[in-house]
Amino acid sequence: MSEPEAVFQETSARPRTEGVPFAHLSLELGHLYMEDFAEGPERLRRHFAAVRPWADAARAGAVAPQHGRRRVSTCFLIDDYFSRLATPAELVPPLLDAAEHAGLTIDYLARESACAGPNEPRRTSLAESVMGRLVESPPPGSNGFRPPVSRTGWLANGRRAPAERTSAALDATGGWQPPSETGARGHSVFVDVELWSGSVERRTWSCAFLAAVWQLARLGLLRDRGRAVLTPTPWAADSFPADWDALPPLLRLNPTAAPFTAYYTCSVLPSRFLPVEHAVRVILEQTQVDTGAAGHVAGLSASEGMDLPVGAVERSAYVFPPGL
Amino acid sequence: MATPEETTRPVLACGEVRTCLLPSSRALSNKEAELLLRLRDDDHVRVSTRPGRHVLSPEILTGVDCRFPLANRAKVRGVGTVASRAALTEGRLLQASSYFRAPVEGPDRRQPWGYYLARPGTLLPVGRIPESACLQGFLTVREEGCLDIGSIAEALLARISRHTGLLDYDVPLRSAATKLWWTARPAAPGEGASLERFTLAEDGVRTVLLRVPRGTEITAVVGLCEDLALHDWLLTTMVEKLDDNGFGSADGTATLRVLGPLVDHLLHLWMPGARVDRTLGAVWEVIEEDPGFSRQWHTLVQRVRDQLALQAVMSQRQALATG
Repeated sequence: MSEPEAVFQETSARPRTEGVPFAHLSLELGHLYMEDFAEGPERLRRHFAAVRPWADAARAGAVAPQHGRRRVSTCFLIDDYFSRLATPAELVPPLLDAAEHAGLTIDYLARESACAGPNEPRRTSLAESVMGRLVESPPPGSNGFRPPVSRTGWLANGRRAPAERTSAALDATGGWQPPSETGARGHSVFVDVELWSGSVERRTWSCAFLAAVWQLARLGLLRDRGRAVLTPTPWAADSFPADWDALPPLLRLNPTAAPFTAYYTCSVLPSRFLPVEHAVRVILEQTQVDTGAAGHVAGLSASEGMDLPVGAVERSAYVFPPGL
Repeated sequence: MATPEETTRPVLACGEVRTCLLPSSRALSNKEAELLLRLRDDDHVRVSTRPGRHVLSPEILTGVDCRFPLANRAKVRGVGTVASRAALTEGRLLQASSYFRAPVEGPDRRQPWGYYLARPGTLLPVGRIPESACLQGFLTVREEGCLDIGSIAEALLARISRHTGLLDYDVPLRSAATKLWWTARPAAPGEGASLERFTLAEDGVRTVLLRVPRGTEITAVVGLCEDLALHDWLLTTMVEKLDDNGFGSADGTATLRVLGPLVDHLLHLWMPGARVDRTLGAVWEVIEEDPGFSRQWHTLVQRVRDQLALQAVMSQRQALATG
């Protein structure tokens, strides 16, 4: 409805959303545990050698307009949240060398702890933000009254099995009812994802939950009260500090790289991460993204003649190569 | 954001507004109100200071998959999200709204959840819903298994009221909460907004039937209904307070005990239509015409002031007599 704009306005009453640039594809070049790094440079070389052909295939298959340059950026997420066995100065240079040896460039390097805690004073933790945006998929029969996920810390893709009764009157199978996946095709694959452990004040976020935050960050769908988050810091690739906390949350190592945030993501991952990524999809499917950010992506992609799927799940893809 | 199904078929809108006094001995500042209504850490709380202090929370969603409350008892399943938001006016009056839009026709089976999240605050029928049975049913049918929008609004009020850091639960006057149930259907092409009915029912329930121009944002309708609910609550509370006090009694302190908090906390809140979208302004004009909310309010306010003036004269005379 077109209406003349009001003469009197208050900026605090009319929030705005900051825009970010977009690549066509954000390509993740694998993920490793700290223990993998401890195995030495040869382990890293094997990793990137296995990633290389699939990274090339993902790049070639990137959804992009027919004409013009295809913008693909690469990224790598280092787990400094669950364990810190080595310093950035010890760990990062061999990682970059191994990638280069396989003919791959890591454009952006991120710290996993960046997905958890607030990265600047007075800013919201990204994990807390996403937590507040979960809208649980209601199993049939949900009429508006359920305990919210924020209190339980678990998110399912269906209806949980009712708690087992231990009445002596029941036989071994009596009273048991199976869980069910909402919208299952025939049979259920029921998943119940632990989002965090510990107390509400001192949460330890789960790997799956941080990985979901990581996907949303790459898709450019996170904001903090309208402001962009996880903005890359330019960084010379040859000097790294001895402390993880001295390293900015997201580094741009390649000055000519395409933007970090992208319309689509593709992650080339070892297949041991398949259950985690299944959990990621359960989380993404039930996350209501910032409407300002979603509108911004929709507008930008439409101006390039691209028709993006609405859901974050449909915009993220995976490759689980053999031997990785 | 308009979704494909809205361009071709009528879209109904329904909601509930709960209005109550903030459980606090004093009005909150805008900064405190912003903290209270930060329902999501990364989202904006909207703060206005003109023409009055008004703080509005971000919108949050609740997923539902249940029967529509239909007046003809037909069983039609609805899947989607109910939107909720909270508002605090002058740091004093707390409101929680839950609402949804419903196109009369939806996909014939439940879709992946992402489909519904892309349509926030929309409840899609699985199949078709009869328009009038839906609107009427929303205002009259309260059955188990049907959509329970009241408990969604109640849960939001409860969540906000748990903010022990900001609230002391020591209210300056006792008052009852009200519920306003509303429905809106599209007006005929070319016609403006209109109020079809405003009913004061029992147990603090009010019902409002609206017609709004096609394409009106649901948040504009919610804003109108919150404004109606707020002013209805003010009238209801004033009437109640003036009704059950012992005016005319020899001892003036009882009168002061009732009227004092009204002056301190409520009299300055009257500002009908101040934040209502211009396209819906006509609804207030109708209410001001009949029954005339402002007319009644000003009469009540005058009564409060007359009583206070009378008390002043009486106590002066008493002082002279005893002195």
